[in-house]
Amino acid sequence: MTLRRDHVAGGVFVIAGALVLAVSGDLPFGTLASPGAGMLPTLVVALMMAFGLILLAQARRSPPLAEVNWTDLPHAARVAVVAGAAATLYVPLGFALTMPLLLFTLIVLVERRPLLPALAFSLAATAAVYALFALLLRTPIPHGVLGI
Amino acid sequence: MDGILGNLGVGFSVAFSPGVLLYAFLGCLVGTLVGMLPGIGPLAGISILLPATYALDPTKAIVMLAGIYYGSQYGGSTTSILMRIPGEAASVMTCIDGHAMARKGRAGAALAIAAVGSFVAGTFGVVMLTLVAPPLANFALRFGPPEYTALLVLGLVFLAYMSSTSVVRTLLMASVGLLIGCIGIDVMTGHFRYSFDIKELGDGLGIVPVAVGLFGLGEILSTPSKTVADKVAAPRLAELMPSREEWRQSAAPIARGSVLGFLVGIIPGSAHIIASFLSYAVERRVSKRPEEFGKGAVAGVAGPESANNAASTGAFVPMLALGLPTGPVTAVLMAALLIKGIAPGPQLVSEHPQVFWGFVASMYVGNLMLLALNLPLVGLFVSVLRIPYAYLYPLIIMFCIVGVYLVNNSIVDVWIMLIMGVVGYFLRKLDFDPAPLVLGLVIAPTFELSLRQSLVMSNGNWVIFLSPQRPIAAALFAISAALLALAALSWLSRRDWRKALPEEE
Repeated sequence: MTLRRDHVAGGVFVIAGALVLAVSGDLPFGTLASPGAGMLPTLVVALMMAFGLILLAQARRSPPLAEVNWTDLPHAARVAVVAGAAATLYVPLGFALTMPLLLFTLIVLVERRPLLPALAFSLAATAAVYALFALLLRTPIPHGVLGI
Repeated sequence: MDGILGNLGVGFSVAFSPGVLLYAFLGCLVGTLVGMLPGIGPLAGISILLPATYALDPTKAIVMLAGIYYGSQYGGSTTSILMRIPGEAASVMTCIDGHAMARKGRAGAALAIAAVGSFVAGTFGVVMLTLVAPPLANFALRFGPPEYTALLVLGLVFLAYMSSTSVVRTLLMASVGLLIGCIGIDVMTGHFRYSFDIKELGDGLGIVPVAVGLFGLGEILSTPSKTVADKVAAPRLAELMPSREEWRQSAAPIARGSVLGFLVGIIPGSAHIIASFLSYAVERRVSKRPEEFGKGAVAGVAGPESANNAASTGAFVPMLALGLPTGPVTAVLMAALLIKGIAPGPQLVSEHPQVFWGFVASMYVGNLMLLALNLPLVGLFVSVLRIPYAYLYPLIIMFCIVGVYLVNNSIVDVWIMLIMGVVGYFLRKLDFDPAPLVLGLVIAPTFELSLRQSLVMSNGNWVIFLSPQRPIAAALFAISAALLALAALSWLSRRDWRKALPEEE
């Protein structure tokens, strides 16, 4: 049998629904006259699984999973990893160190762009965004190790 | 009528205050850029800039965010006409004849017709909003919990019926949104739901990290790095004037597009996309020279551009009058007001007239600003398209992280945004539209509260939703059932209107 797009699309939500039901044991469903905290989640999960099953049942109409264009996945993964690293470093290092690093890494390492323009752009953009949020809008941003 | 004019006067006094004017201008400017740049739709633009409005009062915040929304409809036409790249989905139809006009040397005229059509339609939409929203809000004051439950169900069913993917996929995404909306403390019983001892999840998943993740980061992950054309011809100011014949050919399509767009805009779903498609189909049908469509027909630009602008204004009617978001953009705008402690809905007009009428009046002003911005500054806007995407998207990611962190000063929110970005990427790959998920998340608290209140009121009797004592709720549920039956029929007969929609480029 060919694995098709909607086998995955439907299957993911059926399995996810089963997992949610498994961790919902402590939520009381209540009664119709006195609905509990678990009533809506249970109804919604049931709907989600039902729609997932419909997708599974209709999966033969969808294209094979292999035909879905995954060529951008490596690029997406690299971008997600760099963004994740920035999220990890944001509070300990602070805005002023993390953001130029984020921009520089994405432009030079992910996009393979020339070093100097990337460095200039990273510093200038960080300074502009710092001015906008910290100085103009006076919103709190993490100061990190540099304390700025 | 006197009351409306008096209130509108109050609104204009708010809209013409320097602060509100400034934020309306900023919204229109950013919206135009957002509409032009491929890979950033109005939803991503609004979501990313939502945190920047926290320091503002509710009127300025909503005026700026709405400016981004309707500004993006204007901006989308520029890249469609000059480069045949739709900056956002609603501009797809403009690509066809707009770019054909540009190839014939009539790019300036096409841009001017698109801008004037957008202005006329936008203004028509605001006039209709002014007339329709207050009486509708008045009517909705009769709504109790069963009516609200029925209205929200109808909203979701309409969204599914009108969405550009399938009914099943849309309802599945809405269910996921409703489920995510259940995370956090249950307001009626105090139970913690799905918070897994993470105290930040006690208040539930925020709309901002979810929306920014799905539509900001998710869009970036789905858009492979690409070079944007660096040689884009921008027409000079002198070339912008359409000929007398072109004006004559565009007048009726602009009028038809305005009316059609407003009516479609009120209905939940991808209103502005459907409106521009419908308008194109109508113009080709009524044209005496249908063979010109695709080869630079003026009506093929004037109609769809007017329709998508009128639709984006029409979408505000149910949001402001009923508290019902008709799509993800209005859902995020609703969230912006909720964050400020203002609930859109029937009470908005009476309890916060400054916000409501100031917002309505600012849309008149915003449409004028957009007309003034878009034509003379087209060359400047086009130069923005020359920024390489490899430099642009890292900047957007920075805005996403900084903006989301600002909401609660919480790194957990940033992680939610990142996870949602990855989820958004895979949802797109599996042909899901993430928009209904956000809609489900936004309406989840109201839906749950009204559903449970209805059941408590009726002592657990489901018939409360269908009883003759509740004719509004019964009628709304009957419409929902009819729409689902229609969807089932079209599925059985394999005749789905979505198949007629053009593929997005």
